[in-house]
Amino acid sequence: MALEDFAAEMDRCSQCSYCKWIPFDQMKSWRFAKNCPSIAYHNFNSYAARGRYAVARSLIKGHSGYSDTVRRIVFTCLACGSCDVSCKICRYNLEPLEMVRELKFKLVQDGQGLDKHKAVLESLQKERNTMGRLNAQRGEWADSLDVPRLPSQKAEVLFHAGCRYSYDPDLQSSARVAVELLKKAGVAVGIMGGREICCGGRVYSMGYKEEFARLARANLSAWAEAGVKTVVTSCADGYHAFKRLYPQLGSQVEALHTVELVDRLLKAGKLKLRSEVPLRVTYHDPCHLGRQGEPYVPWRGVEKKIKKQIIVYEPKRPRYNGAWGVYDPPRDILKAIPGLELVEMERTREYSWCCGAGGGVREAYPEYADWTAGERIAEARATGAEALVSACPWCQRSFRDALHARGEAMKVYDIVELVQKAL
Amino acid sequence: MAALAKDLFRALEDIVGPENISDDPAVLDSYRYSLSHTAIHIGPFFDTFTPRGAAVLLPGSTKEVQAIVKLCNKHKIKFKASSTFWSAQGYPSEDNTIQLDMRRMDRILEIDQKNMFAVIEPGVLGATLQAEAMKVGLNTHIPGSGCSCSTLASATSYFGSGPSNLFAGWHYENLLGLEWVMPTGDVLRTGSLGSGCGWFCGEGPGPSVKGVCRGFLGSKGSMGVYTKCAIKLFAWPGPRTLPIEGSAPAYKTRLPDNFKAYTVAFPSWQAWADAAHLIWETGIGYLAHRQFNMFGRDLKFAMVKILTDPTRTLGDLEELLEDPEVRKVTEQSKRDFQIVLVGMTRRDTEWQEKVLAEILARTGGWKVEAMNEPDIHDWTLLYLIRLGHKNLNLVFGGSYDGCFGLLGAVDFGASHAEEAAEFKKEWEKHGAVVQAGGDCMMGPIGGQGGGGTGLWENFTCFDPYDQESTDGTLQFFDACTEFGLSKGWGVGMEKWNAVARGRDGKTTPKEERDRMHRAAPQPSVFRYQHKVREAFNPNDLGDAYYETLDD
Repeated sequence: MALEDFAAEMDRCSQCSYCKWIPFDQMKSWRFAKNCPSIAYHNFNSYAARGRYAVARSLIKGHSGYSDTVRRIVFTCLACGSCDVSCKICRYNLEPLEMVRELKFKLVQDGQGLDKHKAVLESLQKERNTMGRLNAQRGEWADSLDVPRLPSQKAEVLFHAGCRYSYDPDLQSSARVAVELLKKAGVAVGIMGGREICCGGRVYSMGYKEEFARLARANLSAWAEAGVKTVVTSCADGYHAFKRLYPQLGSQVEALHTVELVDRLLKAGKLKLRSEVPLRVTYHDPCHLGRQGEPYVPWRGVEKKIKKQIIVYEPKRPRYNGAWGVYDPPRDILKAIPGLELVEMERTREYSWCCGAGGGVREAYPEYADWTAGERIAEARATGAEALVSACPWCQRSFRDALHARGEAMKVYDIVELVQKAL
Repeated sequence: MAALAKDLFRALEDIVGPENISDDPAVLDSYRYSLSHTAIHIGPFFDTFTPRGAAVLLPGSTKEVQAIVKLCNKHKIKFKASSTFWSAQGYPSEDNTIQLDMRRMDRILEIDQKNMFAVIEPGVLGATLQAEAMKVGLNTHIPGSGCSCSTLASATSYFGSGPSNLFAGWHYENLLGLEWVMPTGDVLRTGSLGSGCGWFCGEGPGPSVKGVCRGFLGSKGSMGVYTKCAIKLFAWPGPRTLPIEGSAPAYKTRLPDNFKAYTVAFPSWQAWADAAHLIWETGIGYLAHRQFNMFGRDLKFAMVKILTDPTRTLGDLEELLEDPEVRKVTEQSKRDFQIVLVGMTRRDTEWQEKVLAEILARTGGWKVEAMNEPDIHDWTLLYLIRLGHKNLNLVFGGSYDGCFGLLGAVDFGASHAEEAAEFKKEWEKHGAVVQAGGDCMMGPIGGQGGGGTGLWENFTCFDPYDQESTDGTLQFFDACTEFGLSKGWGVGMEKWNAVARGRDGKTTPKEERDRMHRAAPQPSVFRYQHKVREAFNPNDLGDAYYETLDD
């Protein structure tokens, strides 16, 4: 695809502004009615999907050119996909998230990428991680784990820790807990340890699709060598990459998020939760596990018109609108924990508010990323919850940092930590 | 487009702050409206946009708005404010216009539960106001453009017609106290607000200038900026938050037994109109709208099946149209409308049900039972109460507009509905517009004060990216106007705003405007508005959406 391939959508976007709000049917208050952090923070139309369609049109028609403002408009998109869900409440022939991704690709191709993103790229190319850390340290998080190291040892189920869990000392324990849980339930799981490399999901959402493809191919090749049939990860970004993006490059490897597997194991009686965890928690749906965690369905086809002017696709095109994301497994896990009370935020599931870490925003626009996380914390507090639970290290890092910046205290958990407490 | 002088840009920047002003061409292009979409009620004109503004500003207070307007007067530069930018009316008609995006002024300042009104800023949406009002047992009327639109804009700058007209009137009737930054930059507080008595009344004690500032059918951003208003609220005998079930986009709400949504249909248009009169006479109903016929007489039930099933898409339409059950329901609901009954008490609920049954008995009408299937019923209820799917108007190809149209007694509409439908059905064969069955008439059953009138438009859907579709739609609309005039129905809705904006996206040339105004049934309205404009807007810093005639 190229940006020009979205020219029809640029004209067919009706500028209705649904992309700025959670689905209207779901609005419960004035305070938590907005969905897109980008327009909520910057306010100009250009920062919503409708505006980005207009900006893209203006660029490809030559009505405007690149500027600092245009770069900010494009790269402040968190690629969270909330606009996509709201747009598709009424539309079946627009793909705003795909268009904005293509807009990012275009800017990167045209040399308009951000310096702060280029630093991430350099780290990736040199050290195979997005964290600016040494590749040699990648496997240290798992030093205490007694599990097979792939590819020298074999395992059909691979636990992929991802860059954040591998290097973030505050969060590494969650990755260890996840592996221990799987082992305890009898899953023959292995890890790549020091040979693991970045999934590429984060650079993809920054606009570097070629770099993403390079990383994806490297991972697929390593998995093939190790005989991996299933990849499990606790990182929502990684999950999205493996579930939705890798199949586009031919991957046949099953992708599971830890919450899916733990939920199955609990329901199969292979894990039993016996200890009380007396805690009132609220659950934050990571964008890449929730609305963007829908299964990939291969499709090649063309647009056609029926009834003279109704736009449809031949064959029928799969629809990604957030309806079929991974929402119930984490909730079912939490509900299975004795003594734990789950209270929902106003914006949940497919219309959840983003944590602020996506799309390269955390790296390039830290103030805006912090504000976005702060908004979610305010929403979590409004539920009366003592703790905020998520299933992605990027969300957890955002929330911890935002709480620290505000001098506030609220517990932030990875869901597997609570499972471990309840064993 | 001439760039804004640097000193003027800096002066504006000083008012709103650097983060709230932009003249970047890409930003400005996100504040232009595509007239390929038509967008209330002109065109469509292929690949044509409203003019690029000189700068976009995001004011945060009345004081800032006032300072901007005064500066515009000093420099004789046009300005136009819009709150939610739903249609072309909210966009400039002239080059070098300063655009005010009122999004930052979005507070609900007060909900007076006892006196049943809310005080709001321009950026408050119907949806957010409704969500907050429901918490205290109240509700707001939501205009036909849907809950994504500004309540203040609907009440001050247009007329605010929608499904709940029946119970809640039009929004301009619901406008109480108003804070108005006049075109000169002076602030006028109207009605009771102007005499320090609070927001409760729009017509005094204090300045009664609602007609002056709104003008004919609302001033559409052409007469200064409305910065706050009070709006009437209505009783809501339901839960404090709508309980939502279902997967996107097929959300639905299961409400207590005092809420019922029916689709009723009739053997003839006369019976249809008689039923509307009986509904008004008896006073039943909370909402009444011919809603789903916007998809077209032939497509509506198949579309309901798609929209209530999250696994379906438009790609299922042709298959559904072949389904015998769908065909049967489609045939049953030819001349239909939706009505929501809301009982304030159990007795009220029972009484309204009995009255509706009696109305159907007298008119030979029936309830379309397929629409009472629980999932469809609960989806319909939510659709009509929240009006959060209004952009299904655009679902087929991305664009629509209404043609023919009626603002008047339903008997009049009923008398020409079928003929207009047949006319459209013939044009649908040409290929430019969606082939939907000719009759795509939709609109509220109830107008000013709740009854007496209907407001219909015959939806026409097309593809704005396809020049043949767009040009063909324009030809069809031209033919509609000619046909309507030949029949004595007058100029249809398809040309309503042709008097304000022309095919280049800019103000209609004066000679053309004058010709149209002189041909109007009451040209003196526009002569009066000319005098108002001279008095209140001496530098003429708005556009021709405030309609005037100066002969």
